[in-house]
Amino acid sequence: MGQGDAPERTGRTLAAAFDPVFYRTVYDDIALTGADPFGHYVQTGWREGRDPAPWFSVRAYLDRYPEALGLDPFAHYLQGGWRRGFEPSPSVHRDGFLERVGGRPRPGISEGAASPRRPDSDLPAGVGRAQARELAAAAFDPAFYLSMNPDVAAEGLDPLDHYLQTGWREGRDPSPEFSAADYLEVNSDGAVTGVNPFLHWLAAGRTEGRPLRFELGFRGRIVAGLTPLADRMEAASRSALAIQSRPARELAPLLAEGRRRDLHLTFSHDDAFQSMGGLQLCIQTESAELARRGIDHLHVFPPVPWPTLRPEGHHAPIGVVWNGRTLGQFSVLDVSAALSARRGRGRLTFAIHSLLGHEAGETLDLLSAAGARRGLFWVHDFTGLCAGYHLMRDEAQDCGAPSAGSAACRICLFGPGRDLHLSAHRRLFEALDLTLVAPSQAALDTWSAAPDAPVPAAMWVHPHARLVPTGRFAEAGEGPLTVAFLGMPSAYKGWPVFTDLAHQLRDDPRYRFVRLGSAAAPGSPADHIDVSVTADNPHAMRLALETAGVDVAVLWSLCRETFSFAAYEAAAAGAAILTGPDSGNVAAFTRAGGHGLVLPDEAALFAQFESGAVRHLSRASRRPELCDIAYSGMSVDLLEALS
Amino acid sequence: MKVLVYSSFTFSYLNRARVLYQTLRRFHPDWETVALITDEPPPGFTFDPASEPIDRVVWAKDLGIEPFRGWLFRHDVVEVCTAVKGPFLHQVCEAGEADIAIYLDPDTALFAPLDPLVEMLGEADILLTPHLIDPNDDRAAILDNDLSASRTGIFNLGFVAIRTTGEGARFARWWNDRLLAFCYDDIPSGLFVDQKWCDHVPALFDRVKVIRDPGYNVASWNLSTRKVAIDKAGEIRVNGATLRFWHFTKLGPTGDVMTKRYAGDNFEVYEIWRWYKEAVAAATDPAIPERWWAYGQFDDGAPIAKPQRVLYRERADLQAAFPDPFAGGYQAWWKAEGPGRRG
Repeated sequence: MGQGDAPERTGRTLAAAFDPVFYRTVYDDIALTGADPFGHYVQTGWREGRDPAPWFSVRAYLDRYPEALGLDPFAHYLQGGWRRGFEPSPSVHRDGFLERVGGRPRPGISEGAASPRRPDSDLPAGVGRAQARELAAAAFDPAFYLSMNPDVAAEGLDPLDHYLQTGWREGRDPSPEFSAADYLEVNSDGAVTGVNPFLHWLAAGRTEGRPLRFELGFRGRIVAGLTPLADRMEAASRSALAIQSRPARELAPLLAEGRRRDLHLTFSHDDAFQSMGGLQLCIQTESAELARRGIDHLHVFPPVPWPTLRPEGHHAPIGVVWNGRTLGQFSVLDVSAALSARRGRGRLTFAIHSLLGHEAGETLDLLSAAGARRGLFWVHDFTGLCAGYHLMRDEAQDCGAPSAGSAACRICLFGPGRDLHLSAHRRLFEALDLTLVAPSQAALDTWSAAPDAPVPAAMWVHPHARLVPTGRFAEAGEGPLTVAFLGMPSAYKGWPVFTDLAHQLRDDPRYRFVRLGSAAAPGSPADHIDVSVTADNPHAMRLALETAGVDVAVLWSLCRETFSFAAYEAAAAGAAILTGPDSGNVAAFTRAGGHGLVLPDEAALFAQFESGAVRHLSRASRRPELCDIAYSGMSVDLLEALS
Repeated sequence: MKVLVYSSFTFSYLNRARVLYQTLRRFHPDWETVALITDEPPPGFTFDPASEPIDRVVWAKDLGIEPFRGWLFRHDVVEVCTAVKGPFLHQVCEAGEADIAIYLDPDTALFAPLDPLVEMLGEADILLTPHLIDPNDDRAAILDNDLSASRTGIFNLGFVAIRTTGEGARFARWWNDRLLAFCYDDIPSGLFVDQKWCDHVPALFDRVKVIRDPGYNVASWNLSTRKVAIDKAGEIRVNGATLRFWHFTKLGPTGDVMTKRYAGDNFEVYEIWRWYKEAVAAATDPAIPERWWAYGQFDDGAPIAKPQRVLYRERADLQAAFPDPFAGGYQAWWKAEGPGRRG
C-alpha cells in the first residue's frame, strides 16, 4: 500500500484499533445478521452511538469534545485527538462485555482499559516489552524506515523506538517486506486488532501460517495500480500548456537549403534522437540512410509525452528535428508555412511511425502544406487501433483487439481512448493515400484481423532486420544453464514472469539467471550485465549475449511484439528463445526459424525449469550457428516502390 | 413485449444507479427504465430527471402507502428501499404497464444483453437468482457465504423478474402485502428485509425458475465458485457463461477485502471492479453529501437512531399518538419518557 494513500491508511489505523469481538458481543444484531462489524461501525454504527471498543465511548467523547460532532469520534481520537491529550471514557458496555467473555478479555484490548496507550496494550499475548523489541529489531529495517519517514530522521529519533512507540499506530511500515495495511486487510478476523501488526506477525502470525497479504498475482497488482486514462491525458495536457513555441525564424534551416533537395518527413511520439529504444533506433537508421542518399529529413514529435493521440481540437506546439539536429518546438502553423515554402524544390515523402501526442487535424494540415498525400504508415505498435497501443487490456493481458463495442473494451482502462484512436486514424487513412508497413507478418495479421481497423491503400511486410549466418558455431559452455532476460524490466516484456522464475529457482544449481540491459533493475534476482544498444553500436546486445554464453533467452512478452530486436539478437547469439502464445512476432519468429519453444502458458514455462527439460536447449546440446544481423534501411528501402 | 426495469434507491446511491441505467440503455434502449426513489434531493442539488438516463421517476411517497410518514419512520434506509419494491411491482401488474417487470439493485451493472430473461419468461412467470449455485467446500467460504445466505435468504433480491400476469402478478401482490408489514432487518424473527421472504417463493408459487447460469448476479458472495475470464473476442465469461450482470455490493474497503479473499489471482475480477469504481466516480455529483438521506433525520435535523425507529414500529400506541413521528412530538416523548431519556 502506497505511503501516500492517506485515507486508506487512516481506515486501516481505525481497523487496527477497532475491536470486532467486542462489537459483535455487545451488539446482538451484528452477531445475528452476520454483518461485518467494522464495516457496520464505519457506515452507520458511530452515528447510532455504538462504541467501537470497550475502552471507547462514542457518546462520552462527543459530550466532552463537541468539536468532533458530525465526525466519527473514534477516528477523531485516533487521528490526532490523543496527541492533543483528549481522553476517552470506557464504553458503558465494557463491564457487561468483560463478564460475557469470562472476565478475561483478549490481550491488549479490554483489561481495565481506559486508553489504548496503556502499557503493553500493543503486544501480542505472552510477549513482554523486551522480547518484543528483540523480535522487532531482528526484522526491522531502520534505513527503510528513515527514508520513508523523513520527519523521524529530521528529529533524530531512534527509528525502532519511534516505530514501536507511535509509528505503527500511524500506519508506518517497518520494512519493505511488511505492509501493516496489507497484513490487517488479509487478517481481518479480529486476531490482530489493537496489537502492533508487525509484532503479531513475528510472534504469532508466521508460525500460525498467516498470509502477509492477499496474493493477487502480478496482473492483479498491475490492475490495482492503474491510473485512469482521463487523468493521464489531463496530466499531459497540463504539461503541454507550459510549452512555448519558438519564433518562426528559427525554422530557417528548413528554408535555407537553397538547392533543390528531396525531403522526407517523419512523425513519431518523441525526439527519436534523444532517447533510445526499438522505434527510436528505426528512425535513427532511417535518418542515417536518408543522409547517405542526400535527402533532407524533418522529424516532428510532441514536446511532452502523451499517453494517447491529442484529442481533436487540442492544439499544442510540435517538436522539430532537422537532419538529426533538434531545433526545438514550434507552432504547427509556422512549420506548415515552412513546408509550404519548400514546395516544388524537390520530392516530398513521409512516414508516420507513431501518432501518439499528435492531433490528426494538425497532421493533415502539415502534410497538406507540404503537398504530400502518399506515404507510409508503420505498425511499430497498435496505436492505429487503440490508445492501449500494446493491445494490453488494462495493461495486464493481451486483448486481441476485439471489437470496440465488446465488453472487454468497455471495461478496459483504454476503452474511452479507443474511439479517439480509431476515428483519428480512419480520418487519416481516408484523407491520405497510406501504405501500411508492418515489420512482420504477425503484426500485419493482427491489424488485418481487427474488426475496426482503418483500411490502408496497400499493405507490405518489411522486417527491420534479418539474420546472416556466419558459419561459426556457438561454443559449448560448461556449468549451469544461463538463462537471460533482455532489455527493459517492464511488465509488458514479461519481467514479472522472469523474476518469479528466477526467485523460485534462485538456489537451484542447474540454472544461472542474468539480465542484460542498460541499468540494473532494483530488487532483481538475476545478475546484471550492462549493455547499451545505440545507433553507433547496434550489435552490443548480440555480442554481450555471445560473451555471456547465454543458453536460453526468456522473451515472455505479454504483448504482441510487432518485430522484436531482442528475438533476433538472441537467435543470432545462439541463445534459444522461450516465449508465450501472446508474444506476436517473437512466437512467429521462434516457430518459423526453430529458434526455441513457444509454450502455451506460464505454468508450462515453470514446468520446463522444474523438470529440467529446458536443459535440452543448452548451447552444448544444440551447437547453434551464430549469425550477424543485417539491418534494413527502413522507409528508405520503400521510397522507390512508393513512387 | 413491453419490458420495464426499475431500481430502488436514495440520492446517495444515484451515482451507482446512473451506471446501472447507462448500461441498461446501452443494451436495451427500448426497455422502460424507472427510478423508485425514497428520498428528497439534498439542498444545493437540482435533480433533473430529463437529463438522467432514466425514463420515469416514481417517488415512494406517491405509491399510496398510508400513513406514509408513519410507515416510513418504522424503517431504516435499507429496510424502506427494499420495502417499496413490492408495492411498486404490484402496482405495475395492476396497471398493466408492462408485460415483464425486472428489478435490479442500483449497484448492479450489465455487461451483456438480458434478452435470455425474456425467453425464460416464456416458460416461467417468476425468475430468481440464488446467492449460491455451487456448494462451497472451504470452511471460511462456508462461514462467509453459505451461512450468510442461510441467514439472509437463499435468493438475492438484487434481482427479480416476473411476468406481470398469472403467477407473476400473484407473487407481486403477496410480496407487496408482506413488505408493507414485515420488511425489517430482524433475523431473530426470521426477517431479512424483502429478501428472506422469497425463500418461500418456490413453495408458494408455480412457474418459478431458479436461474443457475453463473453469468447472472455475480458478486463477492459467489466468487469462491466462479472464475472470470475474458476471451480474445472481448467477451467476459463466468465459468464459461457470458457475464450478464454483476452485483457490486459493498463498494469500498469491506467489499474489496471480500473480493480479494475469493478472487485471489483472478485478475479479471479486479478489472471489472476497476471499471465500476471509475464509472461510479464519474457519475458522482459532489453536491450530494455522502450518505445523504432526507428521512434519516427528524424535521429539526437531529439524526434518527435505529432504536427510535424500532420502538415506534413495535408500539401501536406511539403510532397513534404520533402519526408523523418526524415532527417534534415523538422526539420530545423519546427524550422525556423513552428508553433514551437521561438520568
